Amino acid sequence: MSALGEALRKSAVINLSGAVTMVVDDSPFALELTSQSLMGFGIRPRHTCLDAAEAMEILKEQNVDLLVVDCDMPGIDGFELVRWLRRSGLDPNAFVPVIMTAAHIRRPRVAEARDCGASFIITKPFSSATLLERIVWVARDSRPFLEVGDYFGPDRRFRTGPPPQEERRADLIRKKEFEERQAETAPAGESD
Amino acid sequence: MTVITHPRRKSNLAAMIDSAGGVSVGVALAQARANVEGLRARAMTVVDAAIEALEATPAPTSLPETPARLDQVYSAATSLIDAAGPFELFDLCRAAAGLCDLIGATDPEQPFDWRIVIVHARSLRLLQALPPESVEERARILASLNEVIERKLAQTG
Repeated sequence: MSALGEALRKSAVINLSGAVTMVVDDSPFALELTSQSLMGFGIRPRHTCLDAAEAMEILKEQNVDLLVVDCDMPGIDGFELVRWLRRSGLDPNAFVPVIMTAAHIRRPRVAEARDCGASFIITKPFSSATLLERIVWVARDSRPFLEVGDYFGPDRRFRTGPPPQEERRADLIRKKEFEERQAETAPAGESD
Repeated sequence: MTVITHPRRKSNLAAMIDSAGGVSVGVALAQARANVEGLRARAMTVVDAAIEALEATPAPTSLPETPARLDQVYSAATSLIDAAGPFELFDLCRAAAGLCDLIGATDPEQPFDWRIVIVHARSLRLLQALPPESVEERARILASLNEVIERKLAQTG
């Protein structure tokens, strides 16, 4: 719990029970894992979709308060779904907080991930605590929405301070390995 | 370039999160962990199936076959990460993520050294079988996989 910020101290009370939530993932098991985490937080996902096309149809008809989308799906993928939603003109759905999840993002698609208009992208493996942190973060996100060229979504510039939370676990592991390698290769004379 | 700014409206989520009722963060997380823990057995089956899929994917016999075969391997590796991640099987996730890194950075129109897939499948099997206390063995396996991936990534530019 040390990674949790002040807003997520254990005793803080959150009420997400009324959040109309949509989860989109082509993997039925991943869909269930995400849904079970959300249910633990008091969110009962209203819509669970195995493909983006089904999600689009629902989003045209019904308002949602939170969208959790997998990035990598066959057919219309998560990036395309979010880009479509932001450009859809559907109000208020076009402005809904969107959290994207990814087991991995291929190198050529990193720019798409940045430019699709998601509120936040979290890469796996992530814990329930990380998912809850991000939900609270996007709920309190006060960034304006920008239309710049092809981009429509939250302002991608973070104006002040460090990242909103600690780096994800995988980054910390890589950083530690890098530092260990650096320490091993450093000339003996340079150490304190 | 023209920039149009839409002032952010408070979302429904923002309004409801601080409304009366709800649960404490501690309770929410405990509930979520308990819910996810209930899926552990199924997750291990998915992990096993993903490793089997890696083992069973044949090397492409021609260049045009390579992208489809790589997609199969990538899909198996990401499904492993999906299932293993919530249960903190980080060694398995790291090994699978390394393979994804390489496939993601590879030109699918170029020949792919299939020995890398075979080595990853075998290593994942080994990591899966090793007891949690075999920290050194796990570290050695991951280090050698990492070395292979870094060398290949350097070749892809």
